[in-house]
Amino acid sequence: MSYRALVSTLTAAAFIALWELLPRAGAVDPRFTSQPSRVIAAGWEIIRTGNFRHDVAVSLAEFAIGFSLAIAIGVPLGLLLGRFTPLRYLLDPPIMAIYATPHLALLPIIVVWLGIGMQSKIAVAFAGAVIPILVNTMAGVRGVERSWILAARSFCARGWDVFLKVILPGSLAGVILGIRLGLSRAVLGVVVGEMYQSQAGLGNEVMRYGSEFRTDYLLFDVLLISGFALAATSAVRVLGEKLWTFGK
Amino acid sequence: MKSAQVVLGVLSFVVILLTWEAAVRWGWVNPFFVSQPSAIAASLNRAARSGELSHNIAVSFREFAIGYGLSVVVGILAGALAGRIRTVEYAFDPFLWFLYSAPLIAFYPIFVLWFGLGVPTVIALTFLLSVPQIAANTLNGIHNVNPGLIRAARSFGATERDLLWKVVLPASLPTVIAGLRLGVGRALMGVVVGELFGATAGLGYSISYYGALLKTTDMIASLVVVIVLGVLCTQGLSALEARFDAWRTSE
Repeated sequence: MSYRALVSTLTAAAFIALWELLPRAGAVDPRFTSQPSRVIAAGWEIIRTGNFRHDVAVSLAEFAIGFSLAIAIGVPLGLLLGRFTPLRYLLDPPIMAIYATPHLALLPIIVVWLGIGMQSKIAVAFAGAVIPILVNTMAGVRGVERSWILAARSFCARGWDVFLKVILPGSLAGVILGIRLGLSRAVLGVVVGEMYQSQAGLGNEVMRYGSEFRTDYLLFDVLLISGFALAATSAVRVLGEKLWTFGK
Repeated sequence: MKSAQVVLGVLSFVVILLTWEAAVRWGWVNPFFVSQPSAIAASLNRAARSGELSHNIAVSFREFAIGYGLSVVVGILAGALAGRIRTVEYAFDPFLWFLYSAPLIAFYPIFVLWFGLGVPTVIALTFLLSVPQIAANTLNGIHNVNPGLIRAARSFGATERDLLWKVVLPASLPTVIAGLRLGVGRALMGVVVGELFGATAGLGYSISYYGALLKTTDMIASLVVVIVLGVLCTQGLSALEARFDAWRTSE
């Protein structure tokens, strides 16, 4: 084991140990901090009973639809804006204004438009994810070396060939980066949307456990969501690296 | 910036505002849902006159200043420490990684249990959201200082202090400021979301309050203020970043 891995593992283990032992020693109140053992017990309880499966299904569906829509619209639009400069100049200022805005501030108005059901969470996840996907795809296209395009042209590549064989692979890194950033914003959008106003979903559970002062249950759900976000982000990263080497 | 870029950029805002206003006036869309620019301007004017706007901005700004200020101090110190000492970096690694990628707002109910509903919770959320970004960028900035520059300074007899002030700091500053800029976005998110969930004043609170009353115009007016403040902060720090990065392009 490298020195790096050793130190990281040790500090993480120390944190978990302290988290377990301090409440046991009576130094902190476990009602406020919970404990690893309690969180695991709560998780077992949550999985076996209640609406857990339904809530997970609702949250996953909202995430999947919102995020897929964001990719389906963000990537093509980004490619388009990256290629056509006047269009980019026209749309860049509003896109940047939205990028600088905390997208979750849109929650209340989206709830007014779409209600408290799944649609509003899909919309928030979409709104959060589409902008980074769009912006990074655009940056990826603009980062493609002009000389590559000229070289392809001088070997008689037509517009479509240039697009498919030069611009698309050349901008892949930007697209993947955008998708990765968008993914965490989509997860956040779904969870916070559910925490704000909803009838089901993991965010709804989190808020309910919070108001019932059930820290153990709350933490299990929060850690589950974090685990999902970490796993999905890592998956996109690995996939991106695979595609990258394949493209070369 | 090219003049075509400026003209087209301004044009797009004008077109959006005019289409929006016209679509409502001619009855294509229901103003209940989308409101209209003239009504929003009137609402902003009213809020500015009554003092409501400045009060809300002051409350949000105070939360922002405390939360973000704390995370600048803690983030830069932690990042610098990790950047100079290997073991500290490895020790911070798992925590930084978790804080950086987990949906932290989901911890909001826990903060409410710890700090109570209201200002302290909003500040805690603001701090927690912005600190990982600032720490990570400071760490990267220090790591990416060109070792050639450090060797050159050493061979001309620079002390550790000279090295810090004259080489490491100027060379890492642009990355650190980029972290501060990204941190502003995340801190704003913390303030607004914290206020959406539980507050008695502030911009996020007024968005949520008018939303609950279905007063779309007043809600969008507050949203516009948030957007403008977000753009101003980000642009300001971008300018600062360019200013401190100027030496790099002139070498």
